[in-house]
Amino acid sequence: MTAAAASGAASGDNARSVVEPSTLSRWLAAVLVIGYALVALIPLVWIVLTGFKTPSDAIAYPPKVTFDASLEGYVNLFTNRSRQPPEYMASLPPAETWYDTLVRKRNMVITGPSRFAGRYWNSLIIGFGSTFLAVFLGTLAAYAFSRFKVPAKDDLLFFILSTRMMPPIAVAIPIYLMYRTLGLSDTHLGMILLYTAVNLSLAVWLLKGFMDEIPKEYEEAALTDGYSRFQAFWKVVLPQAKTGIASTAIFCLIFAWNEYAFALLLTSGRAQTAPPFIPIIIGEGGLDWPAVGAGTTLFLLPVVIFTVLLRKHLLRGITFGAVRK
Amino acid sequence: MRGVAVALAADQGAGSGVAKVRHMSDRTIAWIFIAPTIVLLLAINIFPLLWTVYLSFTNFKANRPSRVVEWVGTRNYERILGSEDVWEYLQATAHFVGWTMFFQVVLGFGLAWLINRQFRGHAIWTTIIVLPMMLSPAVVGVFWTYLFQPQAGIFNYIVNFFIDAGDFTMIGDVDLAPWAIVLVDTWMWTPFVMLICLAGLRSIPDYIYEAAEVDRASQWRQFWTITLPMVMPFLMLAVLFRGIENFKMFDMVVELTSGGPGSTTELASINLKRAAFEKWKTGYSSAFAVILFVTVFGVANIYVKVLNKVKQR
Repeated sequence: MTAAAASGAASGDNARSVVEPSTLSRWLAAVLVIGYALVALIPLVWIVLTGFKTPSDAIAYPPKVTFDASLEGYVNLFTNRSRQPPEYMASLPPAETWYDTLVRKRNMVITGPSRFAGRYWNSLIIGFGSTFLAVFLGTLAAYAFSRFKVPAKDDLLFFILSTRMMPPIAVAIPIYLMYRTLGLSDTHLGMILLYTAVNLSLAVWLLKGFMDEIPKEYEEAALTDGYSRFQAFWKVVLPQAKTGIASTAIFCLIFAWNEYAFALLLTSGRAQTAPPFIPIIIGEGGLDWPAVGAGTTLFLLPVVIFTVLLRKHLLRGITFGAVRK
Repeated sequence: MRGVAVALAADQGAGSGVAKVRHMSDRTIAWIFIAPTIVLLLAINIFPLLWTVYLSFTNFKANRPSRVVEWVGTRNYERILGSEDVWEYLQATAHFVGWTMFFQVVLGFGLAWLINRQFRGHAIWTTIIVLPMMLSPAVVGVFWTYLFQPQAGIFNYIVNFFIDAGDFTMIGDVDLAPWAIVLVDTWMWTPFVMLICLAGLRSIPDYIYEAAEVDRASQWRQFWTITLPMVMPFLMLAVLFRGIENFKMFDMVVELTSGGPGSTTELASINLKRAAFEKWKTGYSSAFAVILFVTVFGVANIYVKVLNKVKQR
């Protein structure tokens, strides 16, 4: 894979030329691509719509494309409810909030907040914590790999990359045992360290690519001006690597956000993230689909926003910097 | 960064600390910068991996840590390689990897080729097409179970709109389930192959096509002698990345079918998780993990050699 990394290069623009495609072939291409995009969007649009349906609309046959929007899915996602007999419902004082009203229509009362908000919060803490650590350590290592003579540099870089080839389950048992001994199981710190280790290979490879692109002359000028290495790194290189660091951070964040296998196996309560939790949002008689739809929507939304922000660097991120443009 | 410098300075003893940092040799700085990364990877990746290798030669059970651990030699390995069930899981994995690669290469290359015509608005549509691959595979698995519902599922409804398939269930049917996971993975990861192919297509300099035009080479001939060979290294790189990922596939399939019905979609990683965390056969599952890792690593290395040959042509 090291060798594959070299295939980057290549000019980006396909400027105007004699071999420009004809108008007809462009039209045809546009129709086919847009057709694919629209079909591929159906599942996503459908799950977002489901979040705004009532439970009965969500399992209606034929599937309902138009329906009266309801926030029941979102209310169910964030609350625990219990069903009460009509006599008890009648004895209650009038509902105070809109969500109380919504729940009471189903002969239920809210018994408290659900665990979703906590799981979402865990995802945020672990996601941002591990991203910060991975980018911090990755920036240091990438700078050293990019600028200094390091013995066995290629071997070290390949070693760092190869840690990514392991199936997570293959190391899950020893990590489970190790964490049990160290008291790290089901803690934020444990998960942050784990995701940092998984993300480090990506961070080092991506950041090294970005740093290689910064001309060395700037630092050399700074060094001759009497800056120390640290000052040159801090004041000259880091500001120039800003975009690269930001996009690397987003990739790490998305990975940590989406990770499922380790979260499923190593966390249960305190430090569980949202991905293992969303599948077990149970309603009466099976999964509560509107609530699952609502949870999915809230969970996917940040990733969609980041993807749009990141679109220029996507290719680089997904190939560990092997393909640059 | 200042934090690091200051912390180091403190280590050197008060007073001349800052000056010492200033005079630190490049070599020292290089090691200080690289060491934390290597240490963390050794602690959380390599140490557990070696532990897995050790456990694979024992009869250890993680849910009974107090039991005496016995060295059993290669018994775990013999049992796995001689088991017919394991071959079934590996076949299911091969079916999954093979067909997802096929569909993703065909669709991904096709889409990239079309997008490369640069029609108006192609950038926006590219971003829209890319969305599925950025999502959490487990969550994707969950919501596809909803789309695949035999009654209310939109997927079944759309299929029935075009052909009269009646009531069928993609994830509950022995014959259809292996294709259901291929379908969802293709939906999710075709954009990945597409993006890399697009980079390949854009790397072909125009003058090659111009020369071909001068020689009056047909479009068809240009495609086979210029476009395809020049995109090939990129395409192979995409297959390498996706191949490794799909060989390890766990999250999406667990949520979609959890290996069922029966064990028709029980991929290697899913079986591994069952053996390790449900049956608690730690020694056995460690041996299986080692076999899988060695397979991925070996195949990936051979593949990279072939890839480099293709690139040199």
